Amino acid sequence: MHKFTMIRQSMKMALQNIVGNKMRSFLTMLGIVIGVASVIGLITIVQSATGSIMSEFESLGAGTISVTAQGTLTHHGLSEKDLEKLRNLDGVDAIAPSASLSTSAVYNNNVVKNIEVDGEDAVYFQHNQETLQSGRIFNTAEADGETNVAIVDTDFISNVLNGNGALGTEFILNGYHYKIIGIKAKDTNVSSFFTGSSTKGTVIVPYKNALKMSSLKNVTSISVYYTEDNITSSQLQKELKKALNDIFGTDEDNADQAYSVISMDSLMDTMSTIETMLSTMLGGIASIALVVGGIGIMNMMLVSVSERTKEIGLRKALGAEPARIQMQFLIESITLSLMGGFLGIILGIVIALVGTKLLNTTFQISYGAIALGAGFSAAVGIVFGWMPARRASRLNPIDALRSE
Amino acid sequence: MGRVILQMKNICKDYVMGNETVHVLKNIDLTVEEGEYLAVLGPSGSGKSTLMNIIGCLDVPTSGDYWLNGEHIADMDEAALSHIRGNEIGFIFQSYYLLQKQTAAENVELPLIYANMSGRARRERVEEVMRLVGLTDKMDNYPNQLSGGQQQRVAIARAVSNHPSILLADEPTGALDQRTGAQVISLFKDLNDAGNTIIMITHDAHIAAHAKRIVKILDGRISEGELADA
Repeated sequence: MHKFTMIRQSMKMALQNIVGNKMRSFLTMLGIVIGVASVIGLITIVQSATGSIMSEFESLGAGTISVTAQGTLTHHGLSEKDLEKLRNLDGVDAIAPSASLSTSAVYNNNVVKNIEVDGEDAVYFQHNQETLQSGRIFNTAEADGETNVAIVDTDFISNVLNGNGALGTEFILNGYHYKIIGIKAKDTNVSSFFTGSSTKGTVIVPYKNALKMSSLKNVTSISVYYTEDNITSSQLQKELKKALNDIFGTDEDNADQAYSVISMDSLMDTMSTIETMLSTMLGGIASIALVVGGIGIMNMMLVSVSERTKEIGLRKALGAEPARIQMQFLIESITLSLMGGFLGIILGIVIALVGTKLLNTTFQISYGAIALGAGFSAAVGIVFGWMPARRASRLNPIDALRSE
Repeated sequence: MGRVILQMKNICKDYVMGNETVHVLKNIDLTVEEGEYLAVLGPSGSGKSTLMNIIGCLDVPTSGDYWLNGEHIADMDEAALSHIRGNEIGFIFQSYYLLQKQTAAENVELPLIYANMSGRARRERVEEVMRLVGLTDKMDNYPNQLSGGQQQRVAIARAVSNHPSILLADEPTGALDQRTGAQVISLFKDLNDAGNTIIMITHDAHIAAHAKRIVKILDGRISEGELADA
């Protein structure tokens, strides 16, 4: 009971002293506030950004392997026959070829360049979370028959069609007439990160149409869909690589020149590694601010001790043992740094909110970073408050009282 | 009168300054009984401050024996000395030494906190002693809202709060004017009449005259005496 009341008393006195010297206490805390705020702000921003990217990858790519196959000089891309071979591989649920290009669209004599054309297969929509605002996707008949139907996004409607987004509206794309059968929302940031920000709109058409626009016969990009219960990603990757080597006549050494197989898993792993690296780096840098803050606290506590020698002498005269004085000053410095940590946490969250808003990612509160910030500030208070507290406890009361 | 509350035998205190040793107190013998009102009168440099420090357990003698309330104050560590101070000595300083950022009541409470008294007991005792010095209406005032005399009375309330064996006052009226000084001296008389043992250190013979016994100190030695001997 004694120990606890002593601590409670010291806390009360600590708060009285801190409140009694508001300006100085605030300036002392500033280093900790900034340090904790930067740790939390930066780490939260990094985690939120990578978190949204990762969950998008997940939704885009669960059970998907991407293959880019430009082929060799003698065998360019993948022909329909090649695609059939791949479709027949064990574990493959479906293959969706794709082709993309950048071209111009015309509507009412208004020519707009930088239109992103996304050529896809009907199968693509079954495996992707493409939700349309209105209309429908094209079916297999339309895809095989190379019908000129298109799904446009909201940017296309505002930039090309002047807002006239009715289904059935016709426009010219790369010289061909197209009709709108569906409308989707603008792409999220991850995808737009890959396509570039200068795009004036995106149009999804059957992939064979896109190939025609590019004057190409074979696709160079496909998505392979599989079910995780039936086959593992690495197994399927091995199979695919074997089949592709057969198709292109390549072996392990020169396979990279002909094609590349990317699974979302490895992308996510890379993302995860990047996130950890970034967090650690930023956390490390921000921790320097914390150390500086700690030195600031130690400095102020030393000044405080030397300014309060008379007070310390008096307390000793009134019966405070050295341990009591030491605890009082230690608790003062811990209280200061914890208060600074608390303010830093709030400021850090604000910084993270602003940062994620600017980066257009969703804010995900990082409890890990908060715990880190709180723990650090407590530790700083103890470590950097120790020496001044010890010095205070060792003051000779006679000298202290006499320091007039 | 009563039992011996303080006894010093052959107390010496030396300070070493470089190569020289200064003998500040030389073979002091002093006995004080419970309830006495004693003044230690001496000029500056006489060693009276050093004697006060030893009486108040702020310092330990180089040689000799000091008993306070039956306890032998030997070469103890700082923690033990603080305990004794907190329980046995009530300090009253010339410049009051109140904590500026705490109220009068909080100042008076301080030795009780260090004596680990519970909150409720502390509050009762604080009210009691503030009544004793006549300042119950100033309990929540800060020192800078009080006059010099009132501050000293708060300091006196603080000094008696933990029922010390002796009240040790160092030039208690030094910072006060004649009238307020007289108030404080009158309060001392009341406290002594109530049974408190008071030792007052001063260089002012007129102040010393208010005590019931005068001990003169000069050049590190003491002598009992009447004012006429000075």
